[in-house]
Amino acid sequence: MSRFFINCDQASILSTREQYGDLNPKEAFRHQLHRGHCIGCRSFHKNNQRFQRKLKSLKWVALTIAQKQSIKKCLVEAMTK
Amino acid sequence: MRKEIEKQLPEVKLIPEKWVDRYGDYLFNFTISRVNDPIMAQDLVSETFLAGLKSAHRFKGNSTERTWLISILKRKIIDYYRKINSNKGKAEVRMSYLTNSDQEGDWIEEKAADLRNPNVEDMIEQKELSDVLEECIACLPERYATIFVQKTIDNLETETICKEHNITASNLWVIIHRARVQLMECLNNKWHKNS
Repeated sequence: MSRFFINCDQASILSTREQYGDLNPKEAFRHQLHRGHCIGCRSFHKNNQRFQRKLKSLKWVALTIAQKQSIKKCLVEAMTK
Repeated sequence: MRKEIEKQLPEVKLIPEKWVDRYGDYLFNFTISRVNDPIMAQDLVSETFLAGLKSAHRFKGNSTERTWLISILKRKIIDYYRKINSNKGKAEVRMSYLTNSDQEGDWIEEKAADLRNPNVEDMIEQKELSDVLEECIACLPERYATIFVQKTIDNLETETICKEHNITASNLWVIIHRARVQLMECLNNKWHKNS
């Protein structure tokens, strides 16, 4: 039975992993099963999804590899001086 | 008494070799939302690291490495605006009213952003949300913030992050989960209550 049923702590971690597409089908099933009977985890999962949507809607920018290399080069030069 | 406690605290060591990988993107995001110029943002981030390196001997470990770098960056951004504003002519917004003969006679307000436009509203909201989120990330413990940013913003592979921080995948997910819970609470307090 414990192969299918998980506790709330495990379910909340699975909910977070699901936001990053990290669950395998077994884990996804266990999580869904848990949410089926746990109101708290269902609500947490909804909030987690909403939060993820917010994060995705933000336009994050990142330094390109070339930019990083250029900054690293400056740092290394300064460190060797 | 306080001095005794401070003596007992572990000395925080700076690791400049890892600054770019650990904080580069975070500082870049922080800067670009304030100067709105990617090239200038890169320069400011670079200058921040160099200034950090120069004043490394003054770092007492009272704050985390990231908080310390952010405080340097904030000063750099202020200096940047001071520099711009010191030359009054350059600071003035120069707008050519009648550049195109077809538009002759158009009201100058037409060139300003229309705040009722849903896109403008969205942009302002995004900017505010991004600022609040940055504040919330800054409140996280350094390890949590770094790992959260690497996974969520930089989209790094789980394995890469685990290797860098010498943790297992399950540890990583627990850290990310805790970081997210704290961020959700922080956003609820700072964002939803204000809006």
